[in-house]
Amino acid sequence: MASLDDPGEVREGFLCPLCLKDLQSFYQLQTHYEEEHSGEDHDVKGQIKSLVQKAKKAKNRLLKREGDDRAESGAQGYESFSYGGVDPYMWEPQELGAVRSHLSDFKKHRAARIDHYVVEVNKLIIRLEKLTAFDRTNAESAKIRAIEKSVVPWVNDQDVPFCPDCGNKFSIRNRRHHCRLCGSIMCKKCMELISLPLANKLTSASKDSLSSHTSPSQSPNSVHGSRRGSISSVSSVSSVLDEKDDDRIRCCTHCKGTLLKREQQIDEKEHIPDIVKLYEKLQLCMEKVDQKAPEYIRMAASLNAGETTYRLEHANDLRVEVQKVYELIDALSKKILTLGLNQDPPPHPNTLRLQRMIRYSATLFVQEKLLGLMSLPTQEQFEELKKRKEEMERKKMLEKQASLESQRRLEERRSDLPSRANGEVVYLRRGSAPLRKAEGWLPLSGGQGQSEDLDPLLQQIHNITSFIKQAKAAGRTDEVRTLQENLRQLQDEYDQQQTEKAIELSRKQAEEEDLQREQLQMLCEREWEREREQFQAASLHTRTRSLDFREIRPFQLEPSTEPCTHLAHALDLGSSPVQSSATPKTPSPSSALEPVRVWSGPPALGQEFLPPSTMSQQREVPSLNPFEEEDSASPTAEGSTSPRAAEPSCGPPSRILKEYNPFEEEEEEVAVAGNPFTNSNSPAPNPFSEEDERPVPGNPFEEATCTNPFEVDSDSGPEGEEPIEEELLLQQIDNIKAYIFDAKQCGRLDEVEVLTENLRELKRTLAKQKGGSDWPLGRELTSQDKWPPQNLERDDYIENETFQEEGALKRIGTCSHPQPRLKAPTAQDYKFQATLRHPRWLPGGISCESAREVETARRSCGGRSAGGGVCCSGHSSPLASRLDQRSHAHERPLPDSPHPAVPGPGGRGVQGHGEGHDGELQHAREAGRRRQEICVFQHTSNPIQKPLGADHDV
Amino acid sequence: MNVVLAVKQYISKMIEDSGPGMKVLLMDKETTGIVSMVYTQSEILQKEVYLFERIDSANREVMKHLKAICFLRPTKENVDYLIQELRRPKYSIYFIYFSNVISKSDVKSLAEADEQEVVAEVQEFYGDYIAVNPHLFSLNILGCCQGRNWDPAQLSRTTQGLTALLLSLKKCPMIRYQLSSEAAKRLAECVKQVITKEYELFEFRRTEVPPLLLILDRCDDAITPLLNQWTYQAMVHELLGINNNRIDLSRVPGISKDLREVVLSAENDEFYANNMYLNFAEIGSNIKNLMEDFQKKKPKEQQKLESIADMKAFVENYPQFKKMSGTVSKHVTVVGELSRLVGERNLLEVSEVEQELACQNDHSSALQNVKRLLQNPKVTECDAARLVMLYALHYERHSSNSLPGLMMDLRNKGVSEKYRKLVSAVVEYGGKRVRGSDLFSPKDAVAITKQFLKGLKGIENVYTQHQPFLHETLDHLIKGKLKENLYPYLGPSTLRDRPQDIIVFVIGGATYEEALTVYNLNRTTPGVRIVLGGTTVHNTKSFLEEVLSSGLHSRSKESSQVTSRSASRR
Repeated sequence: MASLDDPGEVREGFLCPLCLKDLQSFYQLQTHYEEEHSGEDHDVKGQIKSLVQKAKKAKNRLLKREGDDRAESGAQGYESFSYGGVDPYMWEPQELGAVRSHLSDFKKHRAARIDHYVVEVNKLIIRLEKLTAFDRTNAESAKIRAIEKSVVPWVNDQDVPFCPDCGNKFSIRNRRHHCRLCGSIMCKKCMELISLPLANKLTSASKDSLSSHTSPSQSPNSVHGSRRGSISSVSSVSSVLDEKDDDRIRCCTHCKGTLLKREQQIDEKEHIPDIVKLYEKLQLCMEKVDQKAPEYIRMAASLNAGETTYRLEHANDLRVEVQKVYELIDALSKKILTLGLNQDPPPHPNTLRLQRMIRYSATLFVQEKLLGLMSLPTQEQFEELKKRKEEMERKKMLEKQASLESQRRLEERRSDLPSRANGEVVYLRRGSAPLRKAEGWLPLSGGQGQSEDLDPLLQQIHNITSFIKQAKAAGRTDEVRTLQENLRQLQDEYDQQQTEKAIELSRKQAEEEDLQREQLQMLCEREWEREREQFQAASLHTRTRSLDFREIRPFQLEPSTEPCTHLAHALDLGSSPVQSSATPKTPSPSSALEPVRVWSGPPALGQEFLPPSTMSQQREVPSLNPFEEEDSASPTAEGSTSPRAAEPSCGPPSRILKEYNPFEEEEEEVAVAGNPFTNSNSPAPNPFSEEDERPVPGNPFEEATCTNPFEVDSDSGPEGEEPIEEELLLQQIDNIKAYIFDAKQCGRLDEVEVLTENLRELKRTLAKQKGGSDWPLGRELTSQDKWPPQNLERDDYIENETFQEEGALKRIGTCSHPQPRLKAPTAQDYKFQATLRHPRWLPGGISCESAREVETARRSCGGRSAGGGVCCSGHSSPLASRLDQRSHAHERPLPDSPHPAVPGPGGRGVQGHGEGHDGELQHAREAGRRRQEICVFQHTSNPIQKPLGADHDV
Repeated sequence: MNVVLAVKQYISKMIEDSGPGMKVLLMDKETTGIVSMVYTQSEILQKEVYLFERIDSANREVMKHLKAICFLRPTKENVDYLIQELRRPKYSIYFIYFSNVISKSDVKSLAEADEQEVVAEVQEFYGDYIAVNPHLFSLNILGCCQGRNWDPAQLSRTTQGLTALLLSLKKCPMIRYQLSSEAAKRLAECVKQVITKEYELFEFRRTEVPPLLLILDRCDDAITPLLNQWTYQAMVHELLGINNNRIDLSRVPGISKDLREVVLSAENDEFYANNMYLNFAEIGSNIKNLMEDFQKKKPKEQQKLESIADMKAFVENYPQFKKMSGTVSKHVTVVGELSRLVGERNLLEVSEVEQELACQNDHSSALQNVKRLLQNPKVTECDAARLVMLYALHYERHSSNSLPGLMMDLRNKGVSEKYRKLVSAVVEYGGKRVRGSDLFSPKDAVAITKQFLKGLKGIENVYTQHQPFLHETLDHLIKGKLKENLYPYLGPSTLRDRPQDIIVFVIGGATYEEALTVYNLNRTTPGVRIVLGGTTVHNTKSFLEEVLSSGLHSRSKESSQVTSRSASRR
């Protein structure tokens, strides 16, 4: 029992309960017990006592040595010998091993040496200062020499018969030269010169004064100096005359070497490479994350536990904040990764390695921390816990915003992925980095606000489109290929997604009328495509119509009127009184070009339709936003359309107007119908973007898409309770996206696949939910929506192309400029140019190149579409889709308010023809308003893109 | 006493002391290995160390925005490299750490080279050994002895390594050594010398019971490194070879590119940490569990995430899932390869006979089994040779020793000259006349009883009967029963109490089987901590190389016998 008294010793194993002797095995213990203690009185009391003691021991153990415990728990595999000792892995922490510093010794020795060195250098610099203190250029050489001699005593000529450096004998031809800094003698050949700027740099305490002569300017000087020396040594006679080196100071190699070393030191001190600056920023961000993330996790944990210590919105804010920082980290590290990649002498492999490593570690950091960010409790859970419904409601809204935002964040991050390898490089090379991640949104969206609501896939697609464009511009075909591959995948995914959504919707709404109407529209649109081309070629009526921007209806109707008049009529019959108004216009023989423009270039519309006051500015600004804002703000003339317009716009206003809009559904359908159009139209819109250098044709589209009605609606939808699940879904989507990002980075394609699959699934569920709850009317998009038209369209398209080519010249001629200025490479380009040329539209005219560029971009992303039909066009040519949608938009109102459009736009349109430019501005304004409406549709537009999806119909 | 932690703490301290900013770690060949054993790349990256350079690499770029942490062995070449480096510094500031004691004159010449005052720190951090496991270290020296005596260079390296270990663990031990080995005595003296010379360094807080350094020689137990192993770590080393935690799988048929070389480190591989001491059968079932786990976690193509709960679980598990997939593929590959080799080389049967040779005393049955296996075409020449080696070692003095007959069998089997020569070399290396103690027959009553009991209980596992001789030695040591006439103390003082902190060093290399033994001793013996070290960690192949390089076989038999006997018995 003695061991018990010693609390320090804790024993385990086969201990005899009575004497606490450690016996190695069960058998031994048993024998021991039988032998030793058999005669003893084992009364209950004794046993209890021992039990108590054991308990005490156990307690001791727990308190004293946690390590032991863990050792045991981890040791389950070893019953045979798991008692007693300590697993080496659990040995208690030890202090740092012995160390010994030699620093003081080292410093002592170094100081001795350095003192000597520093004194040398300082001496030289002081002398140098004296030598340069006076105005050398204007002083007489004799005077200079006197001063020089006064600075340092010159070695006597007689003492040095040979040059100490090269050993040549001094003579008349080989003259002695004195170092002005140390007074020693050398021959001309061994002489060095110090230029005044260098001297100044060395002597001035602060380098600021030297900014004019930075190292590059000096090194040539010194080079020059030495070269001179060698030249002059060749012809030593001339060197005799070369007495006046006013702007240089003679010195020996030794002194020069010392000074140059010093100079190098100065330079290095001043120089901060880019990587350091970026790296510092990166570190700051990481610190921030380290600060915030634990806080967030605490909040999230608390919230998840249902506590009310923290407010959900704060947590959300924090989450968003943290995620922003992650983005920044990502961007910065990427920047570091690509630093100097395009420099002419490529950086040293070690530099690249360093950059890679930094990037890698940043990625690790993000992965580790980001994936660790737990999601916030859903509102529902929270609500249950708090039993406060109103509060919850409010918060839910906030949370929703936040989650949307966070989703966007993730999207952004994800969107960087493709760019990492390729895009970035391209940007760097170009010097202008419109697509950079940090600034990455610039190219894509006119306004951040809108992008918030964007469908992430679309964003991605747009990003890629823009990357492709840039890559092409940079001539990186391989990158383009990979990007295109990416794009294709994305589009597939997106299409599928959209089809899915469409199916969902279609289930819920199956009203015949709508379907018919849509069909009609589809047809019309297709026709319209064809027509457009035809128009361009020759048709006057279309142009006339298009002239009137105010009237969107005319456009819509146009297609119907032209080649496929029947279709148009059908359309009219089905839904729109507008048609009637439009049809009359068609014949009007005003300028031919305009209509084309209108159709093809909604983005242009966005810009150019601005109210006159802002117009000039707006044109320069690539973003469409200003326009939209105005529109939304200004009460439009058409009462019926305006509410709708407001809704779709993804910006804040849309959210505010959360009321359920009956129109929306319709719009959706319309939009769907509109897609096929986009295909055909897509080429046309591109040229418009040219002036602004709006990077991607896709961008404008984004705006449109940003108003993804699915999301917005569902979120804001009147049904408060249900969305909770959606939020969870959203969050999950966020997370999964993060994983995808992560997986992609690691190049784990299989995982990516699986994850994407999941993502898709999630989205589907989401869509289902939303579709179910919010859009019971979505049915409209049934099989008929999906349509067989692809074939038709394709054919049409081809026809059109040929047609166009033939008629290209003519078409151009039809533009207000009778002669084509440029030879466009393709028929489409012709079209674009033609449309663009029109002075009214593009005062500066369109550069053929940009048009081509856009075109190529479109093709690159749209290439896939050839087989699939229309699908790609949606992405690549937002303009077109918008246009289409616009046309639909007009249609929509019809059922509700049969006449609204007719009086307004129609009449104006007529006027417009006559008005000319002024009129156009007005049109522009109006068109802008229209555009808002269009926005509403655009998300929905996609489902139809893949008409093949018809199989899915339920 | 945790050697991994000791080195890791040193490295962490270095990095910490250099402050924030981008850093480069300048190392030499050996320190690279030392650092890589305790730090993974991603771990060290998080400490802002982004580049790893060799001091002797010529192709280093001037990067003044980096701080340099130099961790070098204090060799002449390294000092010279460092002097050159300081004359033309490539980095902004230098933190210099030597892994061992550096001479004052070297410090001086370094100081004089540092004209630009770039050196901010000069210290000795005694991380001068390869930390394999918390209780196992190695010096990665193959062939430390010439004949029975030290190769002088290796002796000094070993001394450095051992003293560094003592310093890093802050132990100033009493020293015991194996009397039968001259090399052990030499090493003990050298270590003592260093301790005396650097007495300032070795002034640590006195513990109640002073730590003990026990120096052994591989010669005393040549059996252990000749046996096939069946615990995970040892088996991997035996069949595939572990080199600084790295395993070369490039010879595995159909290996995928990213598994050509895998790292097995208990520090950051949980599965490995939990299974490294389990036997092959257990590993098999654990791997199976791991796979099943993985399958469960793996999102299936078919079975999509049905409910939100599913998704949530998936999302939360994803990071682990990812990590797991790496672990799973690694271990499945390794274990798969192990089992392939086991089947291909008929190792179960071979090992059974090996164990019989090592642990039992039935000569005729052993001989029969060896002969039978020598006829088996599946048994490789290496395995055949080592069966004969084991036989030769065990029945060296047996009356009916039939070694010549077995040698004939070996020749008939077509085993190469090299291996046949090695048989005699091994006997020369670890034969009876060299050994200070009896390896095979139990020595005292306790041991006899134990063996008897064991026999009664039946052998649990035929393949793991063998207990390294080290186990007995340590057992005695812990109980204070280790004979002083066989393992004398260096110096006058002796240990009165039972030792608590024990450092065992095996000249000629330890094995993973011994590491396991020590591990188990640590776990089973309260209050005792044992660290095992060796000039290297052997598998059969490296042990045979060790034997080969000691050059014993090349001498004429007679003279070597004489010298060895005189050396060991004096």
